[in-house]
Amino acid sequence: MERSGFISSAVKRLVTGPPLYYAWVLALLVTAVVGVIAYTAQLKQGLVVTGMTSFVSWGLYIGNFTFLVGVAAAAVLLIIPAYLYEFGPIKEIVIVGEALAVSALMMCMMFVTADLGRPDRIWHLIPGLGILNLPSSMLGWDIVVLNGYLFLNLFIPGYILVRAYQVKEVNMKFILPFILLSIPWAVSIHTVTAFIYNGLAARPFWNASILAPRFLASAFCSGPALIILLFQVVRKYSKFHVKDEALFKLAEIVAVAMAVNLFLAAAEFFKELYSDTHHLAPLEYLYWGFHGKGSLVPWVWTAMAFNIAAFVIFLIPKTRKNFVTLNLGAVLIICGIWIEKGMGLIIPGFIPSPLGRVWEYVPTTIEVLVSMGIWAIGLLILTLILKIIIPIETGEFTRAGRVAA
Amino acid sequence: MPRYGIAIDTTKCIGCHACRVACQNQNDLPVHEEFNRIVERERGVFPSFSKEFVPLQCNHCKDAPCERVCPTGATYTSDEGVVLVNTKTCVGCKYCIEACPYKMRTMDHGKGIVVKCRMCIELVREGGTPACVSTCPTQVRIFGDLDDPTSEISRFIAEHRAQPLRADLNTGPRIYYKRS
Repeated sequence: MERSGFISSAVKRLVTGPPLYYAWVLALLVTAVVGVIAYTAQLKQGLVVTGMTSFVSWGLYIGNFTFLVGVAAAAVLLIIPAYLYEFGPIKEIVIVGEALAVSALMMCMMFVTADLGRPDRIWHLIPGLGILNLPSSMLGWDIVVLNGYLFLNLFIPGYILVRAYQVKEVNMKFILPFILLSIPWAVSIHTVTAFIYNGLAARPFWNASILAPRFLASAFCSGPALIILLFQVVRKYSKFHVKDEALFKLAEIVAVAMAVNLFLAAAEFFKELYSDTHHLAPLEYLYWGFHGKGSLVPWVWTAMAFNIAAFVIFLIPKTRKNFVTLNLGAVLIICGIWIEKGMGLIIPGFIPSPLGRVWEYVPTTIEVLVSMGIWAIGLLILTLILKIIIPIETGEFTRAGRVAA
Repeated sequence: MPRYGIAIDTTKCIGCHACRVACQNQNDLPVHEEFNRIVERERGVFPSFSKEFVPLQCNHCKDAPCERVCPTGATYTSDEGVVLVNTKTCVGCKYCIEACPYKMRTMDHGKGIVVKCRMCIELVREGGTPACVSTCPTQVRIFGDLDDPTSEISRFIAEHRAQPLRADLNTGPRIYYKRS
């Protein structure tokens, strides 16, 4: 009785909104449907419709997956200052950050599934039903940590929101251990994802111990940058209040993370260029072209320029605290890291092949449409989650309020 | 149990690609899927140089990286030391393709799974030799039991000090090359 009351009023909240809300949801739905149609074609004909070959066997899908794991992990960035250092302004925005993490994780799982040749056999990865090859397979570990992280990010805000809906105090003693656990867990999802690539001895571009630290550094850039944009949208269209101070604090953290990211990139450049072994080839392919082939060269230099420009913007207090430049910087970082950590990381790992052959990869239209579809579904999930949880968080949507209404 | 391997004498290879054709035929492979590949290389500098053909195939590594990374345990090593893929449990994630140092795994797009050289194990179990071995007009490949010191392959490897490719990766490859 009571549960159905919650569901019906939640559904009512989902279907009512300003015209802009309808337009946004409709646009996402159309993109999602186009993606599903493209995916159906891929299911019918197999991965042959993608640009992936035996030489470059991971592409756009896994690139997006890697980027989004970083976005999901960045939720931790909000939790640490909020709960450990009692930094008030961030505390109230943690739940929205976790909603972003949940939708990013959903997109991760969709991207990995899209990359499978036999998605119908995905149950083989469930221990008990199939064999999850632990402890030796890093992909097996990634499945464990991603699902664990998804559980934590559903459970913690779920608990807090149920209490808020019932207008009861949160029992911090009960929930704090889960919150603390989610911090190392967020680090683990990104570390294990880095280890997937890192552990392959025959791929020098990935087989560098700097990979996991660099993954974390770049995640701490792109995640908060997305959150900065998201909060401005949220506070414009809801009663949810986010102080400017919290956004500027995030921008400050991004500046530090980007400094570390650029430093690690420089360290990698030095090692490869100065020692000048045959391990230089993938880096050469990425930044200058190799054996006359270099389709990623303009992309990666764009990413480099974007990252440096954004770093400067976020470093100078005056531009960091101006919303025009702040938003410009956030967009530059998201694009820059998406290129650097998506295609810029995955593709050169394969080029040249261990025995010296150079094959390039270009995603096909179907791959692009499927990827856009997955992004649309992810953003739709995010929109719908926020539509429910924000009124609960602000106290507009509670059991008491519903009964009164 | 025997532990099968192949020794390849590149100095005898004339680059006729008969092994590739036999392999495609034996495994019913379309053109873009290959278990067997011939790489052409130049050796030396002008005026003393030569062309070398290096036939490549799955090296059936003792500690196979492809087997280690497989999330469902679909890749396994048979008792004869042959690395095989269980076609029923492979989910097609392609992680093994990234892990292979030799890039000798490929996707079967019809079935959506990863496939590879099986050292023609069904022929071998009936007492035959792999198709690439028996078809070669210059007898570049020698197939046999690496554990038997008197076998032709063991004697060939010892006599010519044949080496595997990328032995530095410590995977224990079972394809040996005599290249000069």
